[in-house]
Amino acid sequence: MRYLLFVPLILFAAIAQVAAAPYFPLLGVTANPLLVLLVCWAMVRGPEETMALIPVAGIFKDLITTDPVGVSILAFLPIVPLAAIRERRPTESEFLPTLAVVSAASLSYYLIYMIVLTAVGDGPPWLQSPVRVILPAALFNALITPILYLPVRWATTLAEMARPSMSVPG
Amino acid sequence: MRTLVWLVVVGLLALLGIALSQQGALDPLRNVALTVASPFQRGLRAAASPAADFLDNVAKRQDLEDENRLLRQQIEELTAEIARLKESEFTAADLAALAEVENSRPDDEFLVARVIARDPSNLKERLAIDRGSDDGVAEGMVVMSEGASLVGVVSKALSDFAWVTLITDPNSNINAMMLESRAQGVVSGSLNGGLHMDLIPQDAEVEPGNTVATSGLGGNFPQALLIGQVTSVRGEPQDVFKTAEVEPAASLSRLENVLVLTSFKAARLTSP
Repeated sequence: MRYLLFVPLILFAAIAQVAAAPYFPLLGVTANPLLVLLVCWAMVRGPEETMALIPVAGIFKDLITTDPVGVSILAFLPIVPLAAIRERRPTESEFLPTLAVVSAASLSYYLIYMIVLTAVGDGPPWLQSPVRVILPAALFNALITPILYLPVRWATTLAEMARPSMSVPG
Repeated sequence: MRTLVWLVVVGLLALLGIALSQQGALDPLRNVALTVASPFQRGLRAAASPAADFLDNVAKRQDLEDENRLLRQQIEELTAEIARLKESEFTAADLAALAEVENSRPDDEFLVARVIARDPSNLKERLAIDRGSDDGVAEGMVVMSEGASLVGVVSKALSDFAWVTLITDPNSNINAMMLESRAQGVVSGSLNGGLHMDLIPQDAEVEPGNTVATSGLGGNFPQALLIGQVTSVRGEPQDVFKTAEVEPAASLSRLENVLVLTSFKAARLTSP
């Protein structure tokens, strides 16, 4: 049932990334709301649910861009182990680890993405990319994290509150 | 263990998908996805454009003032340039050559297309248009702005949509020339969305404000299509070539409609 809500949200985020995100560049790059949303979901709801969503998000995003279909799935894969590592090491704050995972996932996303693009003959300039694209994009993604983290956090809290609690008779 | 299995299986499926899409086997699926997504994309673009304009104006007030000052200066310089041209600085031969270029393409046919999306990867400069192979669009066709300056080349044509690689794409290289000095070079894109013209002979006279257009060499672009204007020139006297930074004539980040030049057959389309 929860996927019925989240799958359309993921598809909408993918469309927004292609249609609207390029209008709002910062530091010469555009943000990757789809990646940030998947990380927030993995951090708040756990990596298990995200494992089902990554293929859906990746395939749809690649179908509506020029990317080879599958490259985004590969680039999103590190989100799962990164979130799993964080799950095994609970901390007081959930938000700061989310920022760290968003940054790490952004770096790994671009690394995998560039490797695949180079392999298929559409490679970007490797020397300029770290300074001009990868680091600014990781920073930009971290900056937009609160915008997506808070709604996911609140939605999860509301869902937990609305769930009927079990009472023990006697 | 379960996570590891998932990573391997999904990773292998992704590699299979990449192999299939390299063969073009998933193009019909891409066309369906874009058909479903395009109404939402149009809506989001329509909503995002004014918001982005507003934010731009707020954030770039100083830049706008500077740009305004620069434009006034350019108008003044161009007016002076026109005056000089009127004083027959251009020889009759030059004028005849320009006229020949103009007359050589009287039957150009264009297809108007609407921009529906832009590649969000930061590593590529590409945009999607709402015309595809069913409308006569083919890979390699030249795309121009409404102001008739060069925008890019169709790099992927689906049935109802096409992707255009912009002249600012890091992998874009175009044979070009300065209209004033006829100096030739290669205009390339870069990661920051800028343009630069390389391989300009050291002895060529190039200065800011010069007009850059396609040279037609190689046969992939028509001759004398406007690309942009030189903003600065780099190169030491001991260098073999000069490099010029070029400001694209078309406002590539805010394109709403483009023209696909359907009558020009690029060499890459006609060669065996």
